[in-house]
Amino acid sequence: MKRRSLLCWLVLAPLIVVNLFPFAVMLATAVKPASEVVSAAPSWLPSRFAWGNFIAMWHAANFGTALMNSVYVSVASAAVAILISIPAAYATSRYRFRLKGIYRDFLLITQMLSPIVLVLGLFRLAAWLGLLNSLNALVIIYAAFQIAFAVWMMQSYFSSIPIDLEEAAWLEGASRVRAVWSIFLPMSVPAIAVTAIFTFINAWNEFAVALTLLRSENQYTLPIQIFSLVAGRYTVQWEQVMAATFLATVPVAIVFGWLQRYLVRGLALGAVK
Amino acid sequence: MPPAPAAAARTGRSGPAPRTASEVSFTPYGLILPSFLLAAFIIAYPLVQLGNLSVHDVTRFGFVRGFVGWANVAHVLADPLFQSSLWRTLIWTAGVVGGTVALSVPVALILNGDFIGRGAARALIMLPWSVSLTMTAIVWRWALNGESGLLNLTLQELGIIRQPIVWLASAATAFPMEIAIGILVSIPFTVTIFLGGLSSIPHDIYEAASVDGASHTQQFRTLTLPLMRPYINIAIVLNIIYVFNSFPIIWVLTQGGPANSTDILVTYLYKLAFVFGRMGDAAAMSLVMFAILLAFTLVYLRLILRSGGDEAA
Repeated sequence: MKRRSLLCWLVLAPLIVVNLFPFAVMLATAVKPASEVVSAAPSWLPSRFAWGNFIAMWHAANFGTALMNSVYVSVASAAVAILISIPAAYATSRYRFRLKGIYRDFLLITQMLSPIVLVLGLFRLAAWLGLLNSLNALVIIYAAFQIAFAVWMMQSYFSSIPIDLEEAAWLEGASRVRAVWSIFLPMSVPAIAVTAIFTFINAWNEFAVALTLLRSENQYTLPIQIFSLVAGRYTVQWEQVMAATFLATVPVAIVFGWLQRYLVRGLALGAVK
Repeated sequence: MPPAPAAAARTGRSGPAPRTASEVSFTPYGLILPSFLLAAFIIAYPLVQLGNLSVHDVTRFGFVRGFVGWANVAHVLADPLFQSSLWRTLIWTAGVVGGTVALSVPVALILNGDFIGRGAARALIMLPWSVSLTMTAIVWRWALNGESGLLNLTLQELGIIRQPIVWLASAATAFPMEIAIGILVSIPFTVTIFLGGLSSIPHDIYEAASVDGASHTQQFRTLTLPLMRPYINIAIVLNIIYVFNSFPIIWVLTQGGPANSTDILVTYLYKLAFVFGRMGDAAAMSLVMFAILLAFTLVYLRLILRSGGDEAA
């Protein structure tokens, strides 16, 4: 067992090192004094830890506003996506109906028509709705494009919840709605929570639509705000940019690392079935 | 796949579930309706807009002028930058998806086995998934910096390169690097799908094979690979769709430059629409891209169906 484990880790090591490399770069740069960042003789370790970079970045990058915008968009779009996907996932896991196959194909097509291919049309949609430069446009669009993922995930979990308890409730005279509300939903809370967190993360990370629809800095979400510190500038304050990416990614990465095992079952079964 | 139909079948057999015929036929449609309406609206409106713009002369501020028919499509198809972007998109998609699947199969096989610290290894392999592509690309843009970048430093300290390489200054180094980063960020999703597939393979068939004297390689070729087929197929389809549409890596690292030499279709589309203001051409190009994706998916699903892996459809 020990030799086998060592072998497994050795084979995986190169990939793990490369995965950790960006985090090392972020951290090493974020704590460097500004004068040591851009240099002809770079080094991994700073001469001293310049924690002040984080404070300077917070003000220079308007980080607080962007953070709140990202939180609003991600929470609201995850909530909308989950609320309308729960009934759909319940239907596809509990009922047999004629257009089910077509509905599933439709979900796959929504994944093919990614926001980026539609981006010009989405721009005109937002303009038509009067939501250009509005976070609510992102909420609606993100929610719509998350439906396929949310339905796939929740459906595979819902199918694994035995129907017997609901049936018992029906036999005792409970209505179908009541059985769902008091028996099925409490049992599916973990599945719903996990799906909600992943839709939150997907919205948190989206780039192209936000880049297109958001026009003023006080509406920027984190990816756009941080990208604006890099794009089209002659001098980039990389220590601040890396401090910002570090703050924006590490909390999400920790939550994700904790929850990723739920993805294996949910996604694989939901997408293939 | 048993659970869903089995559950539905039992609903019909026992319990008072389908109280009336109308409940049976309408309830599921009512349940899927909200999701269908929102997704259909958010997709249909832009599609109609794109269809309309693509056959008209459109100003850079989006005002629709005369009807031009197929002129925009013809214009796009004849555009040498479109053609080179299309070619590069093929390399990009094939490179990223091929590399991802080739690396993900062994990684998933290892992670599916039992070893000390497997949970931690899984979390570390999944790590890139949690970071937005934008952030990953911003960090790599800095790490690939020619003078002060930490990648050059590391490679020099390891003795792999002598002189610092200005990675992003020319397509010859920038584009392969972008493909490599694309592979890195696609592995977690692909491994996830494969792990789901591996966990569905019952253990006892391997025991039976061992009893019959099959070697590990034989077991892999005759048991694991065929049983993994539907999962590999779906991973390839979804990855091709995602990678074909992947925008942030190239946009953040090189914005398709220098001189359009790393543009793929999505970055060139974005430039057409929002940098050059050629709205009509951009709309036409969107439809061309959608046609490519749709054709690919249909052909691929047809091939899967014909080869017998009907579960993946």
